[in-house]
Amino acid sequence: MNIKITHNWLLEYLDTDATPYEIQKYLSLCGPSIESVTKIDNDFIYDVEVITNRIDYASVLGVAREAVAILPMFDKRAKLKDLASFHWTGENGKRTEKVEIVDPDNLCPRKLAVVMKVNISKSPQHIKERLENCGIRSLNNLIDITNYVMLEVGHPAHVFDYDRVKTGKIFIRKAKNGEKITTLDKKNYLLNSNDIIFDDGTGRIIDLPGIMGLDNSVVTEKTKRIIFWIETNDPKAIRRTSMRLGIRTAAASINEKNPDPEAAKMTFLKGIELYQKIAQGKVISPLYDTSPDIKKEKLLVIGYELFGKKIGIEIPKKRINSILVNLGFGINYLEDSRIQVIVPSWRANDINIPEDLVEEIARVYGYQNIPSILQPIVYIDQPKDMEDIFVFQNKIKLLLKHLGLNEVINYSMISKSMIEDGGLKIENHLRLSNSISEEIEYLRTSLLPSLYKNIQDNSGRKEVMRFFEIAKVYWLKKNDLPDEVYKIGIATNTDYFDLKGIIEAIYKELNIDFCHSREGGNPDIIEKDGVFMTEIDLQKLINNYHQVPKFKSLNPYAVIKLDKTFELSPKTTYAIVRQKAFKSKLLQKIELVTLFNNKLTLRFYYSLSSRNITEEEAKEELALVR
Amino acid sequence: MINFEEIKNQFDKDIKETKEIEKLEIKYLGRNGVINDLLKKIKEIPQEQKKSYGQKVNELKTSIKRLIEVKRKELAGKKSEVFFDKTLPGKSYPKGSLHPITYTIEEIANIFQKIGFVRVSYPEVEWEYFAFEALNMPKDHPARDDFETFFINYPKDKKYGKIVLSPHTSSGQTREMKRVKEPPIRMINIAKCYRPNWDITHVPMFFQFEGLCVDHNINITHLKGTINYFVKNFFGKDREIRLRPCHFQFTEPSFEVDVSCKVCGGKGLLNNKKCKVCKSGWLELAGTGMVHPNVLKAGGIDPNQYSGWAFGFGPERCMMMKEEMKIDDIRILYNGDIRFLEQF
Repeated sequence: MNIKITHNWLLEYLDTDATPYEIQKYLSLCGPSIESVTKIDNDFIYDVEVITNRIDYASVLGVAREAVAILPMFDKRAKLKDLASFHWTGENGKRTEKVEIVDPDNLCPRKLAVVMKVNISKSPQHIKERLENCGIRSLNNLIDITNYVMLEVGHPAHVFDYDRVKTGKIFIRKAKNGEKITTLDKKNYLLNSNDIIFDDGTGRIIDLPGIMGLDNSVVTEKTKRIIFWIETNDPKAIRRTSMRLGIRTAAASINEKNPDPEAAKMTFLKGIELYQKIAQGKVISPLYDTSPDIKKEKLLVIGYELFGKKIGIEIPKKRINSILVNLGFGINYLEDSRIQVIVPSWRANDINIPEDLVEEIARVYGYQNIPSILQPIVYIDQPKDMEDIFVFQNKIKLLLKHLGLNEVINYSMISKSMIEDGGLKIENHLRLSNSISEEIEYLRTSLLPSLYKNIQDNSGRKEVMRFFEIAKVYWLKKNDLPDEVYKIGIATNTDYFDLKGIIEAIYKELNIDFCHSREGGNPDIIEKDGVFMTEIDLQKLINNYHQVPKFKSLNPYAVIKLDKTFELSPKTTYAIVRQKAFKSKLLQKIELVTLFNNKLTLRFYYSLSSRNITEEEAKEELALVR
Repeated sequence: MINFEEIKNQFDKDIKETKEIEKLEIKYLGRNGVINDLLKKIKEIPQEQKKSYGQKVNELKTSIKRLIEVKRKELAGKKSEVFFDKTLPGKSYPKGSLHPITYTIEEIANIFQKIGFVRVSYPEVEWEYFAFEALNMPKDHPARDDFETFFINYPKDKKYGKIVLSPHTSSGQTREMKRVKEPPIRMINIAKCYRPNWDITHVPMFFQFEGLCVDHNINITHLKGTINYFVKNFFGKDREIRLRPCHFQFTEPSFEVDVSCKVCGGKGLLNNKKCKVCKSGWLELAGTGMVHPNVLKAGGIDPNQYSGWAFGFGPERCMMMKEEMKIDDIRILYNGDIRFLEQF
């Protein structure tokens, strides 16, 4: 996710002499990627990419914290300004109202709430401008404050109309299957028992916490009293509900990444301050915090030598210490060059093992300061079967390209109708349980349905088409992963002998004898609506491959060439003639001379490697072929 | 004694002057021509010289035949009144095409072969275990959601979980560790991957190439060194790389690799305007990092003895960046349109 913040806003937390472009450059190298800086009036807008495990810097405060650690490495001054406003300093007025918070299953670990008397209005210009510069629509001061503090401190917040909640009670429970809600943007959703909701104690659902407020409890123009509310959530539950319902608010994107519960408290206090400042807010209830002591200290022990070992260069201990401290870590020095590191609350989720600390040091020290060195070259044995697959694919691809064919790469998944049209059985195919389209629902067991479709899809674009594809097909197996088998698929819209010639060329290239069977030869050629197709098993070709054909010593004796014409019929096919002719020990090869209607003229080459033969001998041999 | 030289000289003279090649052919190669005369005279040659005589006649005959052919072509050319246009195209030979990604994959494999990386092949249809658990991605990790990974409708295995279409080539990491058993490992795995997105910037099937190196004392300098080597060989010596912090479950630390933009030379500005191709002079290229100790453990390798790095690149992106191919709709790569395919 990305967030936008502005430079002046950042300066409210950060004391620095770095320019916006320096901040962009240095932070992008060592911390949050600032994808762009845009100048606007007297301010600059930063577009910050927030990586999934660093939700702690999805705020002005978070970016300031990173800047404090990173900018000094580039000799820039950077200090965090006093965070005094995060302590409750409010007056003790009349606390006549209350909120009853009931969460029997502890679905939301921390709940913070306060009731305030407020005046609704437009936000002051500077708040409105900031929000809009950061890509958030300004609505009214009551709503704007929740967005403003979320962006400033990092935790999503919510505001209810206290009088529309009616009961003053917030009962946190799982939804029942089929319960309906209307969100504040007036869209209806159907819930199931995985969703967590707030109920006002009467069975009426008043919030979809952590994701979006509901129409029936949200502030309106008439709102006089509010509940300013923050809860921490189960990140998995937030993600599940928000993805299923398709409600992808900024709040949901943050809450599903488990933001710091301490940030919840800081956001809460900042919010109260703002309601007092810009909505004439008066606190009229106690301040509720169900888990004031949620903060847990996380400790890690690491030896200094690990840094050098993993990074590849020695970084002085003093440097390491100062980087850790600037990032907010605490350090206890132990014996034998080891330290105990105290992880700050906002990093409690992403810092788990010593390697995580190595990353902190390496990035802030600067990857640009680490040299590039190739590791020592060693010999690794490549499994022959894996090597062959790649070598032969390439050999055959180049051959087919030079013969004029076009390689295509199709999806491994095809549709039900493609399988059925190809005469294949659905039950032999693995099916995707969460396909996104009927077109890609089944794993193919043959390349031909895809190639057939290629020719159909291209009709009208080109007269002559010859496609091939080399890819895996997936053969169902019992209680195991499917067999992944490489196939060569070829399809043409020309004719039978064009395709047969291509197949023969592959066999010749690999020096494999082409089997001239009575059925027409191996492999089979299928014809469908003028498309001729075949599929060859790559491994079988590899198994029968010869680098060069079998060497025959040069024959010094005369070769007798004889032509003969046959009338083709089911009983006299080329394959039969060939089979008969090769019974002769004198026959060296046969060539096809002409084919006119069903008159086939063949040329027979007779000779012996031991002596000269006579024409009569050859004629006698040929006479046996009829 | 017969003077072969004299005969040859006479022939050279004749051929220079002749306008009618047929007459010359009859004179020398005809039934009663010079060569046949010479052959007839073999009877008169002493036995011991017969062999060398025969050879000489044959040599002469071959040479005369060849020269006559040359002359014949020359005369034919001259005779023709038709204009000979050398600018016409040559004879047409078939030219097919390979899918552009095929060339890219070959080049990548060759670049890594030179530094001792072997290319491997592992299942595309994979157990959840190898696609996730072994890569330090626990059951509830978002990448394992229905909307991030394709699942196969098939009974669950007790040990390995469901069957998925591998969403990344990283699934091959622990398979390679288990195959090799004891490092060193230098692996390059280029294969199809699958994710449930299908729009102008996503295809449900795409390629990835994965590099994995595990050995004693492997550190960040080696990762940088290898990526730098690849980028300079693939994109050009003038290109630079940079690493930025990032996050992946199966590496720690993790980085994003950027390569400097060719169009603006890494400056981010072109004629004082923002470069339209890159983000401030850099283009995102790949995800990478040092292999997480948990991944080594899953592969049966002791993380206290060995360390490693891994990266995953998209060859489609590499190809488009290298060739400056502007593809508005990525789906054209795999929809079999002949107008696209035949260009390569």
